[in-house]
Amino acid sequence: MNAATNGIEAATPPPVPTRLHARNKYLGLVDSALQQAIAYRVMALTSIVANMLWVVILFYLWRAAFAEQGTIEGFTWPQMQTYILLAYGINAMVGFSSASKMMQAIRQGTIVIDMIRPLNYLGTQLASTIGLAIVEGAISFALTLGVGALFLDLQPPASPGHALLFVFSVGLGFLTKFLFIFSVSLLVFWTTSSVGLNWAQTALVNVLAGVLIPIQFLPGWLATVAAWLPLRGIVSTPVGVYLGQQEGMRLWLVLGLQLAWVVALWCFADWAWKRAFRAVEIQGG
Amino acid sequence: MAASTTPLMPNGSPTGSGEPIIAARDLTKVFRRAVKSPGMKGALRHLVRPQWADFTAVDGIDLTIHAGESVAYVGPNGAGKSTTVKLLTGILVPTSGEVRVCGIEPFTHRIANARNIGVVFGQRTQLWWDIPVQESLRLLGDIYELPANDYAATFSHLADVLDLGPLLGIPARQLSLGQRMRCDLAASLLHAPPILYLDEPTIGLDVAVKARFREFIRTMHRERGLTVMLTSHDLGDIEELCDRMVMIDRGKIVYDGALAEVTTRFGWERSLHLSFTEDAPDAEAIAGRVLANRTGIGLMQPDPTRLDVAFDSREATSGELIRDLATHLPLADIRIEEPSAESIIRRLYEGQLHFDDAANAEPAWIGAVR
Repeated sequence: MNAATNGIEAATPPPVPTRLHARNKYLGLVDSALQQAIAYRVMALTSIVANMLWVVILFYLWRAAFAEQGTIEGFTWPQMQTYILLAYGINAMVGFSSASKMMQAIRQGTIVIDMIRPLNYLGTQLASTIGLAIVEGAISFALTLGVGALFLDLQPPASPGHALLFVFSVGLGFLTKFLFIFSVSLLVFWTTSSVGLNWAQTALVNVLAGVLIPIQFLPGWLATVAAWLPLRGIVSTPVGVYLGQQEGMRLWLVLGLQLAWVVALWCFADWAWKRAFRAVEIQGG
Repeated sequence: MAASTTPLMPNGSPTGSGEPIIAARDLTKVFRRAVKSPGMKGALRHLVRPQWADFTAVDGIDLTIHAGESVAYVGPNGAGKSTTVKLLTGILVPTSGEVRVCGIEPFTHRIANARNIGVVFGQRTQLWWDIPVQESLRLLGDIYELPANDYAATFSHLADVLDLGPLLGIPARQLSLGQRMRCDLAASLLHAPPILYLDEPTIGLDVAVKARFREFIRTMHRERGLTVMLTSHDLGDIEELCDRMVMIDRGKIVYDGALAEVTTRFGWERSLHLSFTEDAPDAEAIAGRVLANRTGIGLMQPDPTRLDVAFDSREATSGELIRDLATHLPLADIRIEEPSAESIIRRLYEGQLHFDDAANAEPAWIGAVR
């Protein structure tokens, strides 16, 4: 159509087909989400560093608490430092930016673009969340390790076996947080506003996943509830595994619960998506 | 436009015969909308006892489009155009009625249906905002699971015809609207769909880009048998791209036929534009008296030196009216106007004209003009 008049553009060689071999479509989506995350790396870095402030605050709060006694609720001071840092690092892996994007797509009706393509929406969102997490996760992992090694008394995993289970558990935690965020984002179909939902889900994750304080420290009844709810799988379960807080049957029970919740949440998210999509009108135009 | 021998439309057939490619029967979509009284009180009452009202966006539409047709789907804002397109793409589930696109029910087989359609939104891009166009197109190749050879052939054809070469390395956010539209066209046709939906495609484009855009679509339609369904408010788009016009108003199809036929069907509507040699402020009253025994006359005086007379050519001829009026008014000049497609469509949009009225003796503009 319009011939380029710009000299620099005109100098570009003619197009060559660049897709020499086919990728799986969801891997392709992961790749493009990764590229987009890199395009916004400064923003991602800024929010991760800003969140690091929480680690500092929690560090001083707990240091004051541990000045009085050697162990609290089974935590030693080095264990607590490890907990604070890991909790923060794991939670930062799935930021709320994928939720914000999805909510915005629903609010503004751009979700239509995803729907005219041969894509499963849950899979599409998972792929882009993974792409983002590779970038944001890498930044936050590097930062966590650096800070831990330099300033804190970071404990190693309880054993090589625990380390392996920890990695597995972090993976499940990732899925748990993704599915939770996905399900909450669907509510935008009804609320058509995302501010309240974002606040609510941040608060729920902070308290019930054990980001701010380990769930064992919650008031008795809430601690019991939180121990059975899915959100503990995001932070409390993997960090607990790392620290070796559960042994034998209890360890497998905790991991089994985490896995069961992922399966249940996946089914729920898939059902809720179909339901929401059928029930509600797409915004705009 | 460069010619190419690459077969882009494997399923398309340039002839409009055979099975319909799009078929809707009694298609209806009803939305439920919240009814809220204004203010905080209303919001609270809605919380306690929500009230809902049904809103019928698409009301019993029958539509048949054959492969290789190009159809303009027009109507005023809020008439139900977008809702219809969403029903055809499987994004919305119909409340009742039947719909088939390429023999598939779109909402039960959304993903299969997606492979048969391409969609261009004038107001939204389907490219990924932050990654280079080339990467967006490659990703679309993956999403539609195109074999590498097909992808390469279609890609080079589209890149050639749309002159994408200089744009491939640029992220979508840095493209001008015209450049973006070219890339969006490539994105929507990469998987060689037999059907292309165009939703307000030329909105905001400059005259030259618009002309090239239309030429491209025309070529794809004529040479490749692409079935085109266009929603637009731009009459140029409609006239240049489409042979058939389907007009929808308040959820119902009010006209379905050749674009050219709109004018012949309403050929009985004529206007006389009279201008006077001197001020004649009471010309409207005089003319009203003179033509009192005629039916189907509409009068409007925009200023003292002019008078517009709308009449029905089945009831009177221009000659009769001029003869009657010339003896009572100081006529200087006379211009006779036949309605254009544009004026008919505009009047329909404004709710002044109803296509049902075509069958009635009483002309529809009477109330509006007087």
